[in-house]
Parts: sequence; C-alpha cells; structure tokens
Amino acid sequence: MTRMDRTLQGRNLRLIAAAIVVLNGFFPAVWILLTSLKTETELVSKPITYWPHNPTLQNYVQAFTDQPLLRYLGNSLAVAVMATVLSLLVAALAAYAIARLNLKRRQLILTCIVASSMFPLVTLLVPIFETMRAFGLLNTYTALVLPYVVLNLPVCTLVLVSFFQSIPKDLENAAMIDGCTRLGALWRVVVPLAAPGVFTAGILAFVNAWDEFLLALSLNSSASMRTLPVGITLYQGEFTFPWPIISAALIVAIVPIAVLIAVFQERVVGGLTQGGLKG
Amino acid sequence: MTTMTTKRRLTLAALTGAVALATGLAALPAAAQTSLRVFSGGQNQRPDLMRKLFDQYQAKNPGVKIDIETGGATSELQRQYLSTVLNAKDSAIDIYMIDIVNPAQYFGAGWLEPLDAHLGMSGADAMKPYLPVYASSNIVDGKIAAMPAFADAMFMYYRKDLLAKHGVAEPKTWDELAAASKKIQAAEGNPNLQGLSIQGAPIEGAVCTFLLPYWSQGKDFNDASGRMTLDKPVAVKGLNQWLGMVDAGVIKKNVAEVKTPDTVNEFMAGQVIFAINWGFAWDRFKDDPASQVKGNVGVMPLPAMAGGKSATCVGGWQWAVSAFSKNKAEAAKLVKFMSSPEASKFLAVEGSLLPVYQSVYTDADVVKVAPWFKDAAGVVIAGKSRPMSKEYGQVSDVIRTTTSAVLARTKKPEEGVDEIASRLTRVMR
Amino acid sequence: MAAPTALDRLRDPSEKTLGVMLLAPAFLLLLLIVVYPIGKLIWNSFFDLRLSGGSGVKFAGFENYALVLKDPDFWNATKNTVLITLITVPGALVVGLGLATLANLPFRRKWPVRLALLLPWALPLAFAGLIFAWFFHTEYGVVNDVMRRLGAAEPTMWLLRPGWAFTAICMTIIWKTSSFMALILLAGLQMIPRSLYEAAEVDGANKWQQFWQITIPMLMPSIIVALIFRSITALQTFDIPYTMTKGGPGNSTETLAMLIHKTTIDYLDVGYGSTLAVCMFLLSLVVTGFYINRIGRNA
Repeated sequence: MTRMDRTLQGRNLRLIAAAIVVLNGFFPAVWILLTSLKTETELVSKPITYWPHNPTLQNYVQAFTDQPLLRYLGNSLAVAVMATVLSLLVAALAAYAIARLNLKRRQLILTCIVASSMFPLVTLLVPIFETMRAFGLLNTYTALVLPYVVLNLPVCTLVLVSFFQSIPKDLENAAMIDGCTRLGALWRVVVPLAAPGVFTAGILAFVNAWDEFLLALSLNSSASMRTLPVGITLYQGEFTFPWPIISAALIVAIVPIAVLIAVFQERVVGGLTQGGLKG
Repeated sequence: MTTMTTKRRLTLAALTGAVALATGLAALPAAAQTSLRVFSGGQNQRPDLMRKLFDQYQAKNPGVKIDIETGGATSELQRQYLSTVLNAKDSAIDIYMIDIVNPAQYFGAGWLEPLDAHLGMSGADAMKPYLPVYASSNIVDGKIAAMPAFADAMFMYYRKDLLAKHGVAEPKTWDELAAASKKIQAAEGNPNLQGLSIQGAPIEGAVCTFLLPYWSQGKDFNDASGRMTLDKPVAVKGLNQWLGMVDAGVIKKNVAEVKTPDTVNEFMAGQVIFAINWGFAWDRFKDDPASQVKGNVGVMPLPAMAGGKSATCVGGWQWAVSAFSKNKAEAAKLVKFMSSPEASKFLAVEGSLLPVYQSVYTDADVVKVAPWFKDAAGVVIAGKSRPMSKEYGQVSDVIRTTTSAVLARTKKPEEGVDEIASRLTRVMR
Repeated sequence: MAAPTALDRLRDPSEKTLGVMLLAPAFLLLLLIVVYPIGKLIWNSFFDLRLSGGSGVKFAGFENYALVLKDPDFWNATKNTVLITLITVPGALVVGLGLATLANLPFRRKWPVRLALLLPWALPLAFAGLIFAWFFHTEYGVVNDVMRRLGAAEPTMWLLRPGWAFTAICMTIIWKTSSFMALILLAGLQMIPRSLYEAAEVDGANKWQQFWQITIPMLMPSIIVALIFRSITALQTFDIPYTMTKGGPGNSTETLAMLIHKTTIDYLDVGYGSTLAVCMFLLSLVVTGFYINRIGRNA
C-alpha cells in the first residue's frame, strides 16, 4: 500500500468513526429539532413523517409567549454557572487533600463524600426544603446552588482525585523548591496539567445543574426564579402534551450548553496536556 | 394688636385642626392588607380565567391582594410539589386547587382546613346546591374538605358525518357501538380508522376505564363508609368488554399505550369514529386550527352495558384552604366566592368549563355560548365519583396499573381483578 | 528559632492542618445540606409514619425492615434494579469506551465529535425518557418505522411486553449514560502521553496489544471513577423507566427508586419509604465499597 493509500484509508476510517459518534449523539436532538417545526396533528400521521410537511416557526413563538422562557434561561444560566464554579473550587481543594496528603482516614473521607449521593433525592426533599426555609433562602439562586454543589461534589471530587493522582509529584516539588506554597503549586501546576479532568468535572457539574428537576421544582417555585427543566414541564397540561412546543423549548434548553461546550473545549483542552508530561 | 391676636388665633386654630385630623386618622382602624397566595394548576386549569375572578374579588375587597402560583402542570407533578411543601407544613400558600380525587387523602393527612366553621354551615347543607357527586367527594369525616371549582366528566364523542353517511343511529349500548364501528370501518375501508378510542395507559384516566363498564352494570366499587364492595365477576365482565372490542378490531391493539392527548389528537386527525374523553376535548375538536373534524363532532352520554345503565366518571377541580395558612378566614372567604354560582357561570361562559351548580347548566347566557351544556347536564348530574378513600394514591395506583396490564394482555382479567381485590381489601376497610 | 506563630502555620501549614483546611469547605456544605436530611431519613425508617392514615407517628423499631424483607414488591423492584445495573453498567462502559476511543482519533475539527459525545448527557433525563418512549412507540416510533421499511410484518409493541420494555429501557439508559462514561474516559485518554504508544510501535506491538497493555491500564483510574458513579446511579434508576412505562406492564419494569417514589409521594407512607431508601443506601454501599478501596489505596 502506498503512503497515500494508507492516509486515505486512515481518513476514511476516521470519517466513519466520526459519523458513528455524531449520529449516536445528534439523532434525538435532530428529531426534536424537526418536531419543533411540525404541528401536533402531523405527529399522528401514518406512516410517520420525518421532515415536516409545512415547516413552521409558530412553536418557537408560542414557546416564548406562553411562558417567560428567556427568564427561565437566565435563571438556569445563573444557577449553573455559580454551581459549576463553586463545585470545581470545593472539589479541587478536597481532591488535592485526598490525592496528595498523607491523610490517615482517606477511605473514610472518600466514602463520606460519595455516600451523600447514595440516597434517592426524593427522600431528602422535605428536610432540604425545611433547611432552606429556615435560612430564608427559598426562591433564591443560593437555594439551588448550595445543594447542586453538594450533588456534584462526589463526581467532581473523584474525577479530580483520579486526575491529580496521575500527575507525577516531581513537578509540584520542583515548583515548591522554586518558592511556591502547596496551594500555589495546586493552582499553578496541578490544575493546568489536569485540565481535561477539570474540564470534564466542569461539564458534568454544569450539565447536572442545568438539568436538575426535583430541587428546582420544590425550592424555586415562583415564576420569576423558575429554571428551565421545571418551566418546560409547564407547557403540558393535565390532558395535553404539545410535543412541538415542548420540542422548541428543549432546543432552547440544549443550544446554550452546546455552544458553551463547542467554544470551550478547544481552548481549555487542546495543547495544555502534552507539554508538561514529556519526560 | 388685634392683627397679632387674630394671627395667633388663626395659628392656634390651624394647629388644633391639624392635631384633631392626626388623631382622627390614627384612630381609624389600620386598613388591613391581606396577601393571599393561590396555587392553581397548569394550563388546563385556566389560571387566566381564575385571575379575572380574583381581580373581581379584589375590586370588591380592597384589603386583599391575591397572587397566583402556577406550578406542576399535571396532577402528578402537582402531587410531587405539594407533598414536599405540605409535608414541610409550609405556610406560604393559602389556597390550593386540587383534583376531585384528592380531598379525602389530603384531608386525612391533615393538610386541609375544615371549612364548616368558616362557611357557617354543615357539610350536607353546603353541598346541596351543587352537583350530587360533591356530597361524597368533598365531605371527609363529616367535615367540608374542599369547595367545587369547576366540573368535568367523560363523554362519548363521535363523528356525526360518518354515522349519517352509513345510516347508523347513536348507539345506546356497547354492543351496538361495536356493531356500528365494525359496519363503518368495513365500509370505509381505511385501515387506520379506529372504531373506539379509550385510554389504556397507566394514567389516572385508566381508573375510569376500569370503572365505566363496571358502574354501567349497576355496581358500586365502595359503599358510603368507604369499604370496598368489588363484585369480581362483574369487574371481569367489564374488562372483557374492552378486550372483546380489541379482538374485534374496534379498539386498537396497543390500547395500553393510549393516553388522553393521544385520543384527542387521533380524533382530530380524523382517525377515530368514537372516542371517550373529558369535557375539554369538545372545544379542541371544534376550534383547534389543526382539527380536521370541525363541524362533524357529536357528543352523547356513554353507552350502557347490555341491560345496564349509562354511567360516567366525574372529574373537575376543587378549592381547598391550607391547614398551615396564616390567613385562614380570608382564604375561606375567597374560596366561598370562587365556588359561588356567579363564579361558576363566569367560568362556563368565558371558558366553557362545566358548571358545578345544576342551575347554571340551563342559564340562558351559558346555553348561548355552549349549547351542548344542556345535554351535558344530565350526564354530569348522573356521574359517579371514583373511590373516595384516604388512601386514594394507593387505590388509584393499583387500579390503573392492573387495568393497563390487562389491556396490554400481560395479565388475564381474572388475575387482574383478583390482584385489585387482594391489594385493596386491606386499604379500603 | 522562635516557635511558629499562628500566621506562620497558616502560610506553611503542616499536613494535618492543610488537610483540614482543604476539606473544610466540602464537609461544611455536606453538613449544611445533607446531614440533617439523611439523619431524619434514617430516623423515620424506625417509625410507622403514614400521613394518609392520620394516625400519627408510632415507634416501630425494626418492624419496617422486617416488612421490607417480606414485601414481594420490594423483591421485584430490587430484582429489576439489579438486572438493570448488571446490564447497563458494563453496557455503558463498553459503548462509552468505544465512543471515547473514536472521539480521540485525530480529527481536524474536533468540536462536532466532542459535542456529539456531550449531547446525550445534556438532554434532561425525564425528556430523554419521553423521547425514547416515543421512538419505541408501537405506531409513531422511529424504531418500528425502520423495522417496517426493512420488511418486518407486524409492529412490535415494545413497551407493552415486559421483555421488550425492559430491553428498550436498558437501551435508552445505555445511550444516555455511555456519554457520561465517554466524557470521563476521553479526558483520561487525553492524559496518556503519545510517547508510550510510539515506543510500543517501535517494539512491534499492534493496535490491539497497545490497547490492552497501554490504554486500559493507564485508563484504569478513570474507569473506576466512571464505574462508581454509573453503578450508584444505576441502582437509583428512576426517570427513564418512570417516563417510558411507569413501571408497567404491571410491575415488570418497576425499579427500587420508583417504589420509593410511589411509597413516599403517592401512598404518603413516609416511614416505609424511608426504610426502603436506607435499604437502597446499604445496597449502594456494598456495590461501591470495593471500588472506593481501590482508589483509596492508589496514592
């Protein structure tokens, strides 16, 4: 095989690989997009239609006028951003302690952190509600951000622990010999090198906060503080489930995350990893 | 000298006047500003119309300010929200709009304020002017748990044009309906045309799907004290009634997947001859821009089982005062207004919501807007309520899950009925 | 030398002090948010607390736990939950690893592939369930439409047959959670230095051997983390079966989390619901116990 053949074969294989991954991830999103352009009666036509007969943007108009969707978007954004930043901060500190320090009860600490995720949230709702009410935090961003950080703590901490553990200690020691404190070494050496892990923990925290439903339903019930997932359930009624309008709202819910990720992933992940690990 | 005295006298008079005014104002009772929060449901409970009624009330009662909270679009989601908030004994919300099946359970849990004292009358007297069904659904332990907001019931919708085209009369029994369907389906030759659409998915409506043929044979599910009086062979016959229609091709095979919106959408797309659904569907069939059956829809009482009587399931919503509210007296007054004949007429005229007063059905203005209410009246008045149990959550779950399984043919009717009996005997004593 | 002052200790703390400082925020939050709820939950599990009965609270000791052991619904739900866990955890791992490996290939434009990895996770869980319920719908579903075009005679009633419904649910769960796994594994893959692969090529190892001898071992920490959380969430599976079948037909797809939800919210039996939740916690503890051992030992 000539070199060009091998390159072409490699390129074809990569295209097929890309196609598989893209199809798997995008198919339901594309289906939702197409549905958002149809009318409700078209959804019961037989055989089913894929491309809309008469594409219409009416569903988007209704999605924004039936409810203050932009307001919900803003609330979700605020809560998710705050929860992500705080989660990463708290988790990074805890993960560093677990990964680097010679703590005696390391496993117990890990178990405590992870154990909080082993209870179904629905059984913890009432006491959490009572706590937030006692602090006067109901219907505020804080009411959601704090529990979200706790919900994200197990995943973020463990992801960061596993990434911090894979970075050789010599690099930090070198930095500390150069005059860095331990915390300084954490922020200047370890975190950048663990960038893929930090980024992943960040995405997971963001998406979990963006999509969380039960707490948002119970704690932030007033219309002005409502988040997207709760808002989207309000398009339905006892007897009605307008898929086209709900699809339009779902697209509005997914697009910001998609844009954020597409923009961030190149800048954060690319390039930082290979440098420090050579040698 | 006189000018000075006059000036001083004037100043003195002015000062005295000011003091008197100030004292007078201070002596006036401080205008009480009560703030009431009302939890109303989702779209289908018409918060927009309720807002107009609240505005009317506010105009007549300047010291009261009413806020609406919409949360939980479906009965399920509302239950999720309410169980958290009420379990935490929250006082933020004063009035709840709840489903007709919920007063018993919520009152039993201590979440609702008994309204007897606030309304100044006993349960039986309070419920007299309303539809008969509320006497059983809203009175719990002899106390008034909730007041009716608007009613609903299950009707039989049908394609007038198809029945006329094939010379078929309105069926009065289920057997007649099956025969009529088969005739029309054969003549039309459209493989996608369903004879009858009912809801078989494990939703609340499936409880009605179980009870309709059961009640139609003249039996009751429970007696006045709440004890279950399930007649097993009758229940089996009722379920077999549906299964027989599936076998005959009148009802589609995947009926256990059908939810309320599915029936509505399929009927609107012209794919169904007969459909059982709630009152709201009438407006959808008539007015929805995507409706392909405009002008061709008829409504009639549900057919009866052979030798039985027509029976229907009553739905609708109720107003209840939270047991944890800090403004119970004011809230009760608002509830009394919202369940008055005037409010009922307003909702009927503005939103075609079925009235809760017998008298409103034949009111001239109402009949002008919704002529079909005249016929609907008989149906709703004769309607029956689902089992009023303090454990309704469990009762509903058992009946709807089992009915759906039977319709999906993963359980035989006898098995299903036995399971209902065994699970609910403990609960409905 | 003078004894270290407090300020000195803050600037250059001993291991123990540093440990406390670093872990303080996390534990403070845990204390604030979940310690009271979890405590109350465990407390409630020892009481007969049924709101509907209006009979008030009665101490029941271990009676609730005895009832759980005798409850056929509990065993049915646990069986379903364990089955789902045994199928979807390895399933999501394999699919996730495949997706991550594919996504790690050198592409000129990385963002469509990365985005495709993220989208399944970004779709809100309840709606993912509803959408896939639609895909598997007998008449309006894409799956049956494709099968029809491929020549299938009768449409499969996916969600109305226990076996098929279970399959559809597992497929949906694997689809959604494999992207969670892929995200974690992709990050791990990117940390593996290319020099290792280059050295292995020089030594004559083929792609398959490289995969097993370099990729998997270097990826092990990420795999374990991904497995822990996938397992915990698998034991708590709720949204997808709830929105797809509501546990039907009958009870055949009811999971432990659904039973707890039903008991607490519909039946208003808070005591028994708490007991079931504690049982679920114990199950999760056992399952993830030995994973955490591996991580704890690994530094």
